[in-house]
Amino acid sequence: MAADLNWAIGGEAGDGIDSTGKIFAQALSRAGRHVFTSKDFASRIRGGYTAYKIRTSVDEVQSVVDRLDILVALTQRTIDENLDELHDGSAIIYDGERSWDAEIPEEMKGIDVPLKSLAEDAGGAIMRNIVALGAACEITGFDVEYLDESLEKRFGGKGTQIVENNKEAARLGQEYVQEHYDVGDLGYDMETTDNDYVLLNGNEAIGMGAIAAGCRFYAGYPITPATSIMEYLTGRIEEYGGHVVQAEDELSAINMTLGAARSGARSMTATSGAGIDLMTETFGLVATSETPMVICDVMRSGPSTGMPTKQEQGDLNMALYGGHGEIPRFVVAPTSITECFWKTIEAFNLAEKYNTPVFLVSDLAMSVTEQTFPPEAFDMDAVEIDRGKLVDDEEVQEWLDSQGRFRAHAATEDGVSPRSIPGTTDGAHMSTGLEHDELGRRTEEQEIRVQQVDKRNRKVETAKNEEEWEYREFGNPDAENLVISWGSNEGALVEALEYLEDEGVDVRVISVPYIFPRPDLTDEIEAAEETIVVECNATGQFADVIEHDVLTRVKRINKYTGVRFKADELAEEITTKLTEEVPAQ
Amino acid sequence: MSSDVRFTDFKSDKQPTWCPGCGDFGTMNGMMKALAETGNDPDNTFVVAGIGCSGKIGTYMHSYALHGVHGRALPVGQGVKMARPDIEVMVAGGDGDGYSIGAGHFVHAVRRNVDMTYVVMDNRIYGLTKGQASPTSRSDFETSTTPEGPKQPPVNPLALALASGASFVAQSFASDALRHQEIVQKAIEHDGFGFVNVFSPCVTFNDVDTYDYFRDSLVDLQEDEDHDPNDYEAAKEVILDSEKEYQGVMYQNENSVPYNEQHGVTEDMSEIPDGAPEDAMDLVREFY
Ligand SMILES: Cc1ncc(C[n+]2csc(CCOP(=O)(O)OP(=O)(O)O)c2C)c(N)n1
Ligand code: SF4
Ligand SMILES: [Mg+2]
Repeated sequence: MAADLNWAIGGEAGDGIDSTGKIFAQALSRAGRHVFTSKDFASRIRGGYTAYKIRTSVDEVQSVVDRLDILVALTQRTIDENLDELHDGSAIIYDGERSWDAEIPEEMKGIDVPLKSLAEDAGGAIMRNIVALGAACEITGFDVEYLDESLEKRFGGKGTQIVENNKEAARLGQEYVQEHYDVGDLGYDMETTDNDYVLLNGNEAIGMGAIAAGCRFYAGYPITPATSIMEYLTGRIEEYGGHVVQAEDELSAINMTLGAARSGARSMTATSGAGIDLMTETFGLVATSETPMVICDVMRSGPSTGMPTKQEQGDLNMALYGGHGEIPRFVVAPTSITECFWKTIEAFNLAEKYNTPVFLVSDLAMSVTEQTFPPEAFDMDAVEIDRGKLVDDEEVQEWLDSQGRFRAHAATEDGVSPRSIPGTTDGAHMSTGLEHDELGRRTEEQEIRVQQVDKRNRKVETAKNEEEWEYREFGNPDAENLVISWGSNEGALVEALEYLEDEGVDVRVISVPYIFPRPDLTDEIEAAEETIVVECNATGQFADVIEHDVLTRVKRINKYTGVRFKADELAEEITTKLTEEVPAQ
Repeated sequence: MSSDVRFTDFKSDKQPTWCPGCGDFGTMNGMMKALAETGNDPDNTFVVAGIGCSGKIGTYMHSYALHGVHGRALPVGQGVKMARPDIEVMVAGGDGDGYSIGAGHFVHAVRRNVDMTYVVMDNRIYGLTKGQASPTSRSDFETSTTPEGPKQPPVNPLALALASGASFVAQSFASDALRHQEIVQKAIEHDGFGFVNVFSPCVTFNDVDTYDYFRDSLVDLQEDEDHDPNDYEAAKEVILDSEKEYQGVMYQNENSVPYNEQHGVTEDMSEIPDGAPEDAMDLVREFY
């Protein structure tokens, strides 16, 4: 008996696939079962094929698997697309009365249900997917009554009649299968529990984390798969005194966010693909004006328009190095849906503690995947807010120079300057993308340039020491095989450990949510016989970074005064360097 | 601070490095006076400056200010005002900044009608990059990159604004100090997006759109008693008149409802609680 059930509904875009899938997922969640969902958007074959897949178990599920047990197929293509995942015991629910002749592979169980006719009996053909859900309940031995609550949730706004019709549709589907098929015991353990779970995806977790963190302003431009963050916030953030604005493009979105952030609002923008390219124009300004802000990149397949509805972790270099010139930034990449929530909150705190933009890097897979969690996983009482060196009317006085001018970019020991926002008396100051002095006034003076560059870099050193940049660990800590991953691969890796254990392969998994600054993995890698870095991209961007971290240290000579190297000066520097110790890290 | 604010409070201690005689001196003076006259003070004012000779204004004025990326000043200003309805926002930049690289933002800023002021220091040239054609340059204006002139009609920024649904469209001349200040003041006082295109001559790179040219050709709408800025048709006529150069308020929509009011964005967003909002657990429960 399989511990988990893999169910899917597929058809054409516009067939209501998503909402039907969601209704079933919610019903399973209400029944105290764990759920992990995924979506197929487009396909290898061109056309509008789309599917919503659910993996469910009483135990936690954090990954998709290559197995499909029950498929509701609204089109032949749905069957063809999933042949690899279907197996001998799979059941396929289809509507034999519809014009296409379903070709059900012999080894599989075809369940022909007149979805459309039964839906019409219940009040309208539009409910045919709900009939299929009822049929699926009967096949799996899952009580059809569990659908009621999610039908109420979905259709409650449309009136009780609609809700009742849908409930009836589900029952007609269930009864039809009961009467016409002897499905017997297919062996799915559909045990229920009293556990209360919430069901949400990564983008919803990011949006919820933003509100929890006190984010009040969001500007964005629609782009898959980031849009759903904006859609989540719209209608909710207003309840907390915030606002969402749809900008005319990403150039505007990041600049609006910058304006709001400089005015003291916790502010965020999110984008993907081409949008992050456009935002890179302004990124340097955000960082050099030392503006705290969260920039979320929900990665999708690139380059250019790439495969907009497909998964990729291809923007790591962009987040780390994007933009001309050199400027520190933090890069945080949540490794799970709960972490999407917590890391968003952390990103806002990091941004304000260090007056630095934070890239929050998520990806398409995590953005569309819904997973069940106990509500305590999002314990709002545990949320902490740290606004860093935000000064008020009194504190501002400590930061005025002898002529009463606010030192917005004061070259402090820890590199972090005070932050005053409009309305703070005596805090008025200028900020600019030009190199500037402590007061924010443009300068090209070599000494001040160096002072400001060093100051900005010092913030990172301070953050490295003050904050915890820990990795998450799974599997056997003493295993000789080390697998390192970043971002959303964590769930699949954790489940892969079970398969590996069956094969007798001993593995330690390190899942890294911090890309910059990041934990130093030198010791871990040296302790391992083999190290593998797992990531959803072709070139291994994180692997490059990890390899870089464990390389032999070289000594460095750097100059950033704005003046080129001179021969005599270089000779002298080289001589001095040769007498110095190689830096440890 | 309040009534005792003088316009010099808006002056920073950086000496302007504009060429002697540059129109931007007059444009900036008028802006500072208008800000002081309308009861603002530097600690409650946010100036966003574009990139260009004009954009240096952010350095020469004293207030909360951001000197940002070329062409992106308007979005920054809108972000400030949405987050802080209590703050006076003024955006200033050049004709290249506003009508070329930032033209897309201009159209949408006008449409959004955020309660702020946008002053374009229009010298019909790229000053900072030393004299190339700008979107408002005449079609036969010879420059280093357009030796025979751009051979394209100049943008009519006032018409562009009107076509985008502007609620306030005005034009002034940097050297007519009183009128310029008066017009900017009206833009500040306007409930919505107050747009002023200011003729701000570049004495170094533009030898056609000079002080003398504007002095000789400008028609002041104030002296034309018949012009009623609330009359859309009259505004259209003046704005589309390519024969003459005008100064004054061409158009003002009396029924303008600014963005923040339209969208109920009235709170100071800088203040947040020490932890998650009190009822934040409701957000989690939504996912049951
Ligand atoms: C993205 C980008 N491209 C080009 C430039 C170079 N640049 C600086 S100012 C400017 C044009 C300025 O013209 P305008 O806005 O009319 O201002 P003015 O100097 O005339 O006041 C250009 C092209 C830049 N700073 N950024
Ligand atoms: S170049 Fe022209 S616009 Fe620039 S400062 Fe000189 S006169 Fe003014
Ligand atoms: Mg110009």
